Amino acid sequence: MRPGPVTTNDGVPAVELDSITKRFVDFTAVEDLNLQIDDGHFFALLGPSGCGKTTTLRMIGGFEEPTSGVIRLHGEDVTGLKPYRRPVNTVFQSYALFPHLTIFENIAFGLRRQGVDDADVTKRVGDVLELVQLTGRDRQRPRQLSGGQQQRVAVARALVNHPRVLLLDEPLGALDLKLRKEMQIELKRIQQEVGVTFIHVTHDQEEAMTMADTIAVMHGGRIERMGRPTEIYEDPKTEFVAGFLGASNLMGGRLEGNRVGLVGGTVVHLTTAAAANQAGAVNIGVRPEKIRLHAPNDETAAPNRLAGKVTDASFIGVSTHYRIMNPDLGELAVVVQNLDDRRFALGEDVVAAWQPEHTFVVSQ
Amino acid sequence: MTAIAAPTPVNPIALAAARRRRRVPYLLLLPGLLYLFVFYLIPLISLGRMALQSGNLQAGYELTWEWENFLQVFTTYRPQLLRSLGYSIGATLITLALGYPLAYAIAFRGGRWKNLLLVLLLMPFLVPFLLRTLAWRIILADQGLVVETLKTIGFLPDANGRLLATGWAVIAGLVYAFLPFMTLPIYVALEKIDRSLLEASGDLYATPATAFFKVTWPLSLTGVISGTLLTAIPAAGDYINSQLLGSPAQTMMGNVVESKFLSIIDYPSAASISLTLMLAIVVAVVLYVRSVGSEELIA
Repeated sequence: MRPGPVTTNDGVPAVELDSITKRFVDFTAVEDLNLQIDDGHFFALLGPSGCGKTTTLRMIGGFEEPTSGVIRLHGEDVTGLKPYRRPVNTVFQSYALFPHLTIFENIAFGLRRQGVDDADVTKRVGDVLELVQLTGRDRQRPRQLSGGQQQRVAVARALVNHPRVLLLDEPLGALDLKLRKEMQIELKRIQQEVGVTFIHVTHDQEEAMTMADTIAVMHGGRIERMGRPTEIYEDPKTEFVAGFLGASNLMGGRLEGNRVGLVGGTVVHLTTAAAANQAGAVNIGVRPEKIRLHAPNDETAAPNRLAGKVTDASFIGVSTHYRIMNPDLGELAVVVQNLDDRRFALGEDVVAAWQPEHTFVVSQ
Repeated sequence: MTAIAAPTPVNPIALAAARRRRRVPYLLLLPGLLYLFVFYLIPLISLGRMALQSGNLQAGYELTWEWENFLQVFTTYRPQLLRSLGYSIGATLITLALGYPLAYAIAFRGGRWKNLLLVLLLMPFLVPFLLRTLAWRIILADQGLVVETLKTIGFLPDANGRLLATGWAVIAGLVYAFLPFMTLPIYVALEKIDRSLLEASGDLYATPATAFFKVTWPLSLTGVISGTLLTAIPAAGDYINSQLLGSPAQTMMGNVVESKFLSIIDYPSAASISLTLMLAIVVAVVLYVRSVGSEELIA
């Protein structure tokens, strides 16, 4: 069973935004946005509230008109088309299930509007109910279902129409943490099964990284960083992305070649690739879990070393979170896996060390 | 684990407190029930007794089980009964046709004017009912602006044509009187509709018109049912409009009851006519609600 559409992989992007700007009366939500989303991808628009991600999604869906720019779906210009004329479907934040209709009729709504005949409607609704694992619930009303089930109905109601692109607007926002984790895996499975392009708007970085093939981090109406989750996590490039996507330790210094003289005189190394095309005043960053702690004068420590004092140590089961105070650079966050490393006590002198390849440069 | 079930009261003080708590809802109901008993149930029973009596004011009334009293509604007063139902249904339909778009406009397009528009809708209530109806006499008067205008544009072909003392005048008065009662419940129902449902139906290929008939209308049915009942029931029993805006040719059941009680002093007929009208309305309401779907009313 494959309720998805025939996806054409002819190299034309599923969605193409060409210099899209959206201005409301008193502010600019999206500014000169250029974006191409490949067919069959699970794409996440990630950012804090007010960054323009929902506005971008609503413009693709046809619920908002861009002030300027062109939107293409599979090469076809759809700018100015009403939502009901676009080959996309949306999973709404509040699900927006029709309370007066049964689950069956909710899912069949789009098919009936398109004049699909009854036998086909029954078959396709049955197939998609199976896909979202809700077979047998078709006679119930939305309010008789749990939040997670309503969420699946919303996905089914959109997918049954074989959209070429599925838009998901913070679809898991209303669910509790445990259910959200389950639905993340569920949505990813569904996406892989149907092969439709998913565009997923979220402010939850973990959710985006769990599900998406490609993440675009938005900030102030622009895309700051786009790429595979590992790629943008390991090399966030901007200070905003470094802080929004996971935690980072940022340090100021001067870059010469692939050596950085940090404030306070300590010298650390970068890979040649990370240092490429940059020089002078920079901020470098390192992720807390990339740092290991050593006793002073431990010769086995990695080449990039910073001395400091333990100011906080919290044991949280899988790992221990330390805060290390360096007199020149401030506090560093360090996450140490609870393996056989020795624990460090408050006030102890330590050396925080990490590898050059785990060091990234962010623009100031 | 904390115990979820109510703890079993062990000491007598807790037991008494629990008993008191159970009594509270009934105590709160008591004043209302008492009022209904004295001012609704007792008069209704005495009305029922009165309906089966015969006699006159001078000789006194006697309970003679005059069941024929009930039949006269369908024989002697059949025209008034039909007129009452006809005017009521006509007025309800016109009120719905005017009130629904009004409620829709306020709920969906009212924006920041919403509250002001609602106040304006309720403004007529600040003027007494009788005065408002009398004002309509002036509006529809024979040499008035409305009649003259209608004559000019040919809607009233006859040079002696008039609006007052016609069924239309009575219906117009009823529509005016009950418009807020129709509009408000519909407004409340429309206001409750989640706007994302309309976006969802647009997303699912429904044109705005289809979205209205498949989503907005069914979800506003509760309001439509309440509104039509709040209009049709009082309109069927109304007698002020037909008295002030109509002529003897427009008398409704309400007028018959009024004159039987107050002018002719034929209490048994008046009582039996009232009861019959009441029953007829109850039957009509039950049939109506059943046919539209009581599920929506509960939802």
